[in-house]
Amino acid sequence: MPTMTMVQAVVQALDEEMSRDNRVVVMGEDVGKRGGVFLATEGLQQKYGPDRVIDTPLSEAAIIGAALGMASHGMRPVAEVQFADYVFPGFDQLVSQVAKLRYRSGGQFTAPMVIRMPSGGGVRGGHHHSQSPEAHFAHTAGLKVVVVSTPYDTRGLLKSAVRDDNPVVFMEPKRLYRAIKEEVPSQEYLIPIGEAAIRKEGKDISLISYGGSMVETQKAAEELEGVGVSAEVIDLRSLMPWDKETVLASVAKTGRVLVVSEAPRMASIASEVAATIAEEVLDSLEAPPLRVTGFDTPYPYAQDKVYMPTVTRILNAAKRVLDY
Amino acid sequence: MTKQSAQFEPFTPKTISLLTEQGDWAGPFKLDLDQATLKRFYRDMLAARLLDEKFTILLRTGKIAFVAPHSGHEAAQIGLAHALQRGHDWFFPYYRDAGAILALGVPLKEMFGHALATLADPAKGRQMPGHFGSKSLNAFTPASAIASHVPPAAGAAISMKLQNTRQVSVCTFGDGATSEGDWYAGVNIAAVQGAPAIFVCENNKYAISLHYSHQTAAASVAEKAHAFGIPGYRVDGLDVLASYYVMKDVIERSRQGHGSALVELEVYRFGPHSSADDDTRYRPKEEVEAWRQKDPILRFQRFLERQSIWTKDWEESLRAEIKAEQEAALQEAISAGEPPVEWMFDDVFSEMPWHLEEQRRLVTDELS
Repeated sequence: MPTMTMVQAVVQALDEEMSRDNRVVVMGEDVGKRGGVFLATEGLQQKYGPDRVIDTPLSEAAIIGAALGMASHGMRPVAEVQFADYVFPGFDQLVSQVAKLRYRSGGQFTAPMVIRMPSGGGVRGGHHHSQSPEAHFAHTAGLKVVVVSTPYDTRGLLKSAVRDDNPVVFMEPKRLYRAIKEEVPSQEYLIPIGEAAIRKEGKDISLISYGGSMVETQKAAEELEGVGVSAEVIDLRSLMPWDKETVLASVAKTGRVLVVSEAPRMASIASEVAATIAEEVLDSLEAPPLRVTGFDTPYPYAQDKVYMPTVTRILNAAKRVLDY
Repeated sequence: MTKQSAQFEPFTPKTISLLTEQGDWAGPFKLDLDQATLKRFYRDMLAARLLDEKFTILLRTGKIAFVAPHSGHEAAQIGLAHALQRGHDWFFPYYRDAGAILALGVPLKEMFGHALATLADPAKGRQMPGHFGSKSLNAFTPASAIASHVPPAAGAAISMKLQNTRQVSVCTFGDGATSEGDWYAGVNIAAVQGAPAIFVCENNKYAISLHYSHQTAAASVAEKAHAFGIPGYRVDGLDVLASYYVMKDVIERSRQGHGSALVELEVYRFGPHSSADDDTRYRPKEEVEAWRQKDPILRFQRFLERQSIWTKDWEESLRAEIKAEQEAALQEAISAGEPPVEWMFDDVFSEMPWHLEEQRRLVTDELS
């Protein structure tokens, strides 16, 4: 089996979908000649031409809005926003137009499109190259939200996103783009949106995370194993819809749970998951569900490594839950 | 020199007008519309005006919650609707386009169904009145957010160009929309892609209370086209023939691969911004009255009278016919009934995720 990085998995998935379906087009800033600033669309314009890999003006509103017009007219656009931090000029397009088109038209018009964006911290980017704005999108009815953490998942989920009949916000933690190489089958496969992955089975505590924070969460699980604590690790992968069944089954088994994410805590995905656990399986809990999250400050530049949940912070929270 | 066909130059120093206020033809080419078409234009304009009046009655009797009156825009809207290839081209309307939607052929029953949020609304009662859309007529269901439909209109045009469908995308908006970032973003990407998009400003000089002179320092909306490298046309939108012929010319040029264009149709809103507005707070009654003297329907009526097409008898029978049609459609829309409550959870996604199923159950349990 070939090995590949997450960024190579993005290229591979787009290439496969473009070759399968000529309605699929890629569009965004620098995606063509340059191959994307992270090289996530490298080689596609040479292969498919400038009509199917469109270098757009520097305008997120134009990229997302035009992608919607193309989608409603029968194409399957994959729009790239260069950094998740720059989605906000296109936020009105996502919230007012893209998310609500199917609903407001009573199902007459639809928006089968993907909005890809590199997200998250850890690359010394300061607050305009490091944010994790997934809660905005999950909070907006009508958008599916996916955050990947492995090359294998990236390929399978991105292909599912392209084939989905709904708009999918697809977030790629940029610090993982080249951090992990893994074996990926040579034949194609799909991973359904809405299903979590159990990365490690365990019986004493559930560690639920997604995206970039999966790295620290898995390290914490290894350390816990070293001191005799069996941790179950769940990667949500899809945030809207998220896999409640898998999460609740795990918590019912372990009775102890942490939800880990580098996004700010206030009104976050971690909060939603923790609240659902408290509402639905309180009787199974041996301790309150704790959140280990980014802080409610703008993403700092100098304190880049401290802002995101560290292994130590995860372990401290685990201790609180285990000792409760 | 008389031109042989209706072709127009962009950026004319004077607003393009083909009918004088007295109703005389002043075009530099031969009028080539047959009598049936001219009568159709008049009927659609009159029907649009009477629809506005009907909506206002429904509002005052508490049947509907909101109206964005379009009286004063009829010539512009009927002219542009007839310039489109119906059901082939795409139309991206805004919330003050009921006249254009009607002329495009959306059934009255659907329009009343939408205004009343009954099952006769193809959009299932999901939005407040004034947001008409129709998939079968390629009329893109509007969102209220000003200018947010401009980038999607550009995108549809890009798709038309890439797929070589020989369609055009016509997008309307008011003067206020031209200050939004989405407006510039949308016009710009269509222009640079050479996409068949025609952006049409129904400039009625007021964005709620704000006069055009405080909206922009530009002397006209049309001249903003310079900045995008596309042609801009400034047209008398109280003149249905000017609106029709310019739109027709611009649309056909776009269809033939000449890219995007910007058209400004100069109109005046006779009513308030909406039923929630009091326009006496920002514009004098005398100003409104002076514009009412330039009523686009009266101007076209004078023209038709001079052509011996319009008669008082015809007017009376036409009014009676339209009113009867509207009343019948209204009753049909009412008797269609209200959408079921649990429909609230449909069409968020193509399939229903677990959390919406749970929320729907909560409501059905509450009601049972």
